[in-house]
Amino acid sequence: MFKEKIGTKTILPLGTTILGIIFSVIGFFKYGFWDENIGTLPGFFPTIIGLLLTGISILALFQSINDEKNSSRKENWYPVLAVILIIIGNFIFGMYISLFAFLIYWVRFYEKCSWKETIVIFTIMFVIVVGAFGAWLNINFPKGLIYNLLF
Amino acid sequence: MQNLELLFTGFVTVFSVQNVLVTMLGAVLGLLIGAMPGIGSLAGVALLLPLTYKFNPTTAIIMLGALYYSNMYGGSFSAILLNIPGDSPAVMTAIDGYPMATKRKRPGQALYTSNISSFTGGLIGICILTFMGPALAELGLKFGPAEMTSLLLVAMTSIGWLVGSNPTKGVVLTAVGILIASMGMDTLTGSPRFDFGSMYLLGGVPFIPFVIGTVGFAQVMKLVDEKDKKSNNIINEKLTIKGSMISLHELKRLLPPAIRSGFLGTFVGVLPGAGATTGAFLGYATQKAFKSEEPLGTGAIEGIAACESANNAAAAGSFAPLLALGIPGSGTGAVLLGGLMMWGLNPGPLLFTNQPEFCWSLIASLFLANIITLFIALGIIPFLVRILTVPIKLMIPAITMVCIVGSYSSTNSLYGVVVMLISGVFGFLFEKNGYSTAPMLLSFVLAPLLESNMRKAFIISHGSLDFFVKSPISLVLVILLILIISTPIIRGSLKIVKNKKQNKK
Amino acid sequence: MKKLILAMLMASVLVSPIFANGENEKQNVEGPFVPQQSIEWYCTSSPGGGSDIFTRTIIDIINEENLANGQNIVIQYKTDGAGEIGRNLVSNTKGEKADYTLLTFNSGDLMPMVKNTNKRFEDFQPISHMAVDKHLLFVGENPKYNSFEEVIEGIKAGDQIVLGGSKGDDIACYNALIEELGFDNTQLSFISHDGSGAAITAMLGGHVDLLISKPAAASQYVEAGRIKPVLALSTSRFPGNLNSAPTLSELGYNDVESPNWRSVVAPAAMSEKAAQFWSDVLKKVSESDKWKNDYINVKKLVPDYMDKNEFKEYGEKFQMNYLKSIGK
Repeated sequence: MFKEKIGTKTILPLGTTILGIIFSVIGFFKYGFWDENIGTLPGFFPTIIGLLLTGISILALFQSINDEKNSSRKENWYPVLAVILIIIGNFIFGMYISLFAFLIYWVRFYEKCSWKETIVIFTIMFVIVVGAFGAWLNINFPKGLIYNLLF
Repeated sequence: MQNLELLFTGFVTVFSVQNVLVTMLGAVLGLLIGAMPGIGSLAGVALLLPLTYKFNPTTAIIMLGALYYSNMYGGSFSAILLNIPGDSPAVMTAIDGYPMATKRKRPGQALYTSNISSFTGGLIGICILTFMGPALAELGLKFGPAEMTSLLLVAMTSIGWLVGSNPTKGVVLTAVGILIASMGMDTLTGSPRFDFGSMYLLGGVPFIPFVIGTVGFAQVMKLVDEKDKKSNNIINEKLTIKGSMISLHELKRLLPPAIRSGFLGTFVGVLPGAGATTGAFLGYATQKAFKSEEPLGTGAIEGIAACESANNAAAAGSFAPLLALGIPGSGTGAVLLGGLMMWGLNPGPLLFTNQPEFCWSLIASLFLANIITLFIALGIIPFLVRILTVPIKLMIPAITMVCIVGSYSSTNSLYGVVVMLISGVFGFLFEKNGYSTAPMLLSFVLAPLLESNMRKAFIISHGSLDFFVKSPISLVLVILLILIISTPIIRGSLKIVKNKKQNKK
Repeated sequence: MKKLILAMLMASVLVSPIFANGENEKQNVEGPFVPQQSIEWYCTSSPGGGSDIFTRTIIDIINEENLANGQNIVIQYKTDGAGEIGRNLVSNTKGEKADYTLLTFNSGDLMPMVKNTNKRFEDFQPISHMAVDKHLLFVGENPKYNSFEEVIEGIKAGDQIVLGGSKGDDIACYNALIEELGFDNTQLSFISHDGSGAAITAMLGGHVDLLISKPAAASQYVEAGRIKPVLALSTSRFPGNLNSAPTLSELGYNDVESPNWRSVVAPAAMSEKAAQFWSDVLKKVSESDKWKNDYINVKKLVPDYMDKNEFKEYGEKFQMNYLKSIGK
């Protein structure tokens, strides 16, 4: 029956219910639904789908009560944290430094691999990111605040 | 048989040393660009365009054609090995390709299946293009808003085959996909919609970072769980070249879906605004209606074959309107057209008449590119599969970096990275709770097409619903749609009636 | 510890070449502006479209005639936010970089920008106005109406006609047209497509009755006999194979036109000297043979070079009129 805590299994359908309500309300009132002469308006499609989503999400919400609770471990979220840090670091140090600092930290200090392994993976990723994406394909990665101040 | 003659002259042109070398170069570059997530064929062709100015137009277009074409092969590599689709058509390849490579531990066979199917689909597409390209292009024109609306409704029913064990959850994510796709500019009125005051949302949610997130990055988050288990590699066994080869039985399994999808994909490629992604999705969904030896979604050869063949066939099919009418079927086609103009050739309905040498060389180069790419791909697969023997603890940071760089490249801004991160987190949470994300990706692609066509159809019919039955093509499709929807209902109610009778006895 | 230092050294050696490409010579304060580093040229439409071809033609000519001191020009496609993101980025570029940033800008960009955002023409440094595109109306192969007079008669008799076109300036032109003719949007309704190519496809398939397009995209189909021009939305007839289409004044109405001008702008923070330099470079481009023959003539544009001061006045006036017309 009712499991002890409200997990993601209930939050997700609850979230999609709200999403459905927001899209259908804004769609209907702000963007318009139907015009006598030209038929559908920009809000037509989102309103219908929003209502559908609201209804079916509520159904999913009730079903979810019987679902098993499944929790994710703290470690699952480390890559997310890493991406957030890289995005922040990117503004200050630039994309390349942030990416490779993350790589070295993760491989050498978090996973405790040998320096040899670290250098091998570093070289491979360097070729892919800097060589292929940066130099060959001309992707202009941000250089960061420090670089812009220095030069 | 005039076409064959012209094609033969095309081959004569293509088989100069310079052109063969250029085709090979284009094929290799296309494979590489295709394998890199976030860089679609569009960017690849655009990047190489300046390089080709040094060649004569025929040579240049041969190179770009080969690049565009081989790109479709490359996209499946990262999808199968890393669960990161290299380009949007490869999304479907990942569904069966990644499980086949990791759970069934047969990465070599998965890659061979993908490439042989790509070759088959491509070959069918190019053959159709050769013999009835212009006719096909004219047929494509018959598909106006009303016909496209009916066709897309039929296509949307295929989502039903993808929803997995829990239909409610499947429909939830289908609707979420449609709503996310509706954000940004409304194409018909050119006004902002659901932008919530944000400059970024005004342009909508970009598909590639969205896919890299929901499929690839969510996978990284899941991989963390595998890391601490005893095995520290995704695959521990030694991968030998011999063990990666595909057997005759498997070849027999992949051919029927590949051939079916080849025809289907070519047709979808010809339709205005549909493209290779829609082709791959439809190819895969159609396969659900046929028998597969293993259930689709668990690493079935048939699944890989169906979508890979369809996307290459669609790529070939999209050359029909491009060459016969001067209408680019995709962004890449548009760049190719732009390239033609830079060389002083005028693309358009007269291209076939005024520049036959050029057109037939292009078609011949597609044949050549298809074969060359197949051999290059087959040769490097035994080496590529070793990626999977890299320890997971190294894979996690490496794939994370590829996700960031790929999503950055596709939008040229951090916005892509943010989209990737958010969709990754949600993709992970949804998967954990038993939602399958494939319907969301499919509806994300199809819904905007459906919406704009439906609304255009309403404008043309002045708000009346009769457009569904007015044109014969649309009428046939609507009948098909009704049949598809009603079959399970009729079957279901028949079963209930039967059961009741049995119970009474 | 030694190993750590060694690895750091290796990393820095590997990374250093990435930063080496930005040359760091200080600009000579006296004397005219001369480019010392690579230039970023933003284009807010996707590759292959009209704006892209316009941009690449100019860059080709600059490279061929070596007008930018041999510096590399990189095109950046920023299509996010229907182009608003790229425009925002350029208008906010500050410092020395502002001298090396350019943006392809046309009236089809300006109209949605001032309508949907708070950004205005004044947020940019005008560089030069290069050329003007105007519109025509076309019918398909087996048309219901053979001329625009028949279209008008049809509407007056109660027909409802559907017109297909692209976005931005095509919509503006359509609105001006129905206002002059005195029709409402149900008598002559408009379907907006993703681009001129998609609109032409709809016409070829016979899914719309009329097509509005600029000559660059349409003239090939006219030549092939797939579409036929029926009305020139200009003050005079078009040259060449488009000459058969009359203007509105020939049919007894006032002429309607909504010229789509193509121009180049820069960040507001660009220095006066740099702006003058780029304005002069584009003047040389506009006078080159390649520009005149391969671009203006082939695409049937009207060449109309304006330097930065003339263009500033023109752009501001255009914006004022447009804002007035949408009641903003």
